[in-house]
Amino acid sequence: MRRLLSTALLLTVTLAAAAQNLSDLIISEACAANFSGIVDERGQHRSWIEITNKSTGTVNFAGCFISDSPSDLKKYMIPKGDLSNRLGSRQVRVIWPSFEIIPGTTLYLVSTDGKTVIDTIEIPEDLPADMSVRKVARDVRRIDFRTDPSPAVPTPGAMNTDGDIESGSERVAHHDPHGWTLTLTSVSVVFGALLILMIIFTISGNTFSGKYKKRLSRHSGPSEEEAAAIAMALSEYNGGEDADIAAIALALHLFFSEEVHDSESYRITITSAVPRWSDKTRNFRKPVK
Amino acid sequence: MSQILDSLQQFWQFTGFANCTWGNIVMILIGVFFITMGIVKEWEPLLLVPIGFGMIVGNIPMFPGLNIGIYEDGSVLNILYQGVKQGWYPPLIFLGIGAMTDFSALISQPRLILIGAAAQMGIFGAYLLALACGFAPNEAGAIGIIGGADGPTAIFLSSKLAPDLMGAIAVSAYSYMALVPVIQRPIMLALTTKKERLIKMPKPREVSRREKIIFPIVGFLMTAFIVPSGLPLLGMLFFGNLLKESGVTKRLANTASSSLIDIVTTLIGLTVGASTQADKFLSGKSLMIFGLGLLSFVIATASGVLFVKIINLFIKNPEKKINPLIGNAGVSAVPDSARVSEVVGRETDPSNHLLMNAMAPNVAGVIGSAVAAGILLGFLG
Repeated sequence: MRRLLSTALLLTVTLAAAAQNLSDLIISEACAANFSGIVDERGQHRSWIEITNKSTGTVNFAGCFISDSPSDLKKYMIPKGDLSNRLGSRQVRVIWPSFEIIPGTTLYLVSTDGKTVIDTIEIPEDLPADMSVRKVARDVRRIDFRTDPSPAVPTPGAMNTDGDIESGSERVAHHDPHGWTLTLTSVSVVFGALLILMIIFTISGNTFSGKYKKRLSRHSGPSEEEAAAIAMALSEYNGGEDADIAAIALALHLFFSEEVHDSESYRITITSAVPRWSDKTRNFRKPVK
Repeated sequence: MSQILDSLQQFWQFTGFANCTWGNIVMILIGVFFITMGIVKEWEPLLLVPIGFGMIVGNIPMFPGLNIGIYEDGSVLNILYQGVKQGWYPPLIFLGIGAMTDFSALISQPRLILIGAAAQMGIFGAYLLALACGFAPNEAGAIGIIGGADGPTAIFLSSKLAPDLMGAIAVSAYSYMALVPVIQRPIMLALTTKKERLIKMPKPREVSRREKIIFPIVGFLMTAFIVPSGLPLLGMLFFGNLLKESGVTKRLANTASSSLIDIVTTLIGLTVGASTQADKFLSGKSLMIFGLGLLSFVIATASGVLFVKIINLFIKNPEKKINPLIGNAGVSAVPDSARVSEVVGRETDPSNHLLMNAMAPNVAGVIGSAVAAGILLGFLG
């Protein structure tokens, strides 16, 4: 019951973290002389810039600034309270700054503190009218954008890519919308990986647990009954007693089945458990308390 | 006098009182409640106390631009949050888990490893369901990993694939891990007969030190070569285990399994809590994530139990048959799901101890979920 209640509490606070960092924003495109392109909400042709969120999280850039002057980084503040200023994963938004963009200047995207420059883009002096300068995604995960050296036909509101760049998720959405291919592939790989581990550790386990050695010893050495018979014969030959038989039989048993190694041929030695005077363990000092 | 009043009025605009919303208050109250439950009732205190306090921290209303919020670049909280966002903390937690985990049960009974693979069906079942519910593939992958029953893995993958859903996924994963006994027991009883539950399994053999040392090296090489995208998790898990088993790096293993994992757990709890926002409170998407998370646990448990039953069909020697009650332990909520196997097994036969046998699929499940996370990251990242 307590666990249920605990989880019910957790359930009531199903919280989604908006992992946002302004550093994930870039100025992805800018158009200075916009005479026949897109129009703003008043129907006017004006300079525009495009902001892209290159991360997989949501970023709220309300309160950030756009400027073309390093000495006045707060030239235009992106309005607060506008829900469209929250950019989702790899989304793009067109901004209409209050000033005209002049070719040959550098545009700055500035953080909410009015000091930290998040990103810049240089507007070429020879940028033709109704053409834009843009940054193009160069990698499949869209984290590496580079400025395209040549003026481009504007694509406001669309991700600037080489055309053939597709993220893993988009590729799966396109080619495997129901997910069965990925599921079957993944299950096969998980089973395959653990199956290989199983095989390896079955073999190594058999080796280390002495199964193979036992099998080998059964072929190369005497069985337990044979070991006992040898022990009795040896004892009788030496005129020994029952205790000797037991000791020899135990030694043979250990030698053949428990992997007790003896370096001397034809001799089985039962060593004392007491360490020698030169044993390492005797040289350790007692801990000082 | 008027200047003082103006200054005070200006100061008022900076205070939390002036910027407070109802959402902030609700979230702060929930945070306080979490802390209370963690301390007074001791319900998952290692989880609830840091997350609860983090929720309070993250929902303190403030004047924007002070550069102190968790989402403001360069702030202290933002720097700490990078550990979650960039996926630094989960591998460090895996290092500690590796240094704490004894893989002997798995090494001594390799055939039980595959149960850990079967239980990962929960991940992919939830992935399919999430896609059917309209989630994008990357979001569905992040939701599916809840079925891996592994908090750090869930945070790691969701931070990479769907950071917006990370809070809901993390809270969901930890909730259902706490609920493992409640969720798994009825499924285990429903899918097994009394005769099957009475199966006694032999005690695992003792494992030599050499085997324990070889395991993390071979295990890492095999899994990392197959799924390189799982390298951060798998590498740290096996590295931590090597520190433990080598016997010559006890200090490092002790640090990884105590101080380090405690520090990282504190930071991950605090920052995940602080990253939660009132405006996303009880969103429909988050509730769906909780529903899918529950289903993923159900699928994972059922898959593990049914897999054992299928395997038993091919085992002729009755002494070598596997008790299906350890199938649930493939869900890698270590060691809770193995304990459930033990408890349910003893309910049927008090002399039947399944814990040591259940630990094998349990730790195999940890490896399996890390491999699954690597696969999803490779395909969907």
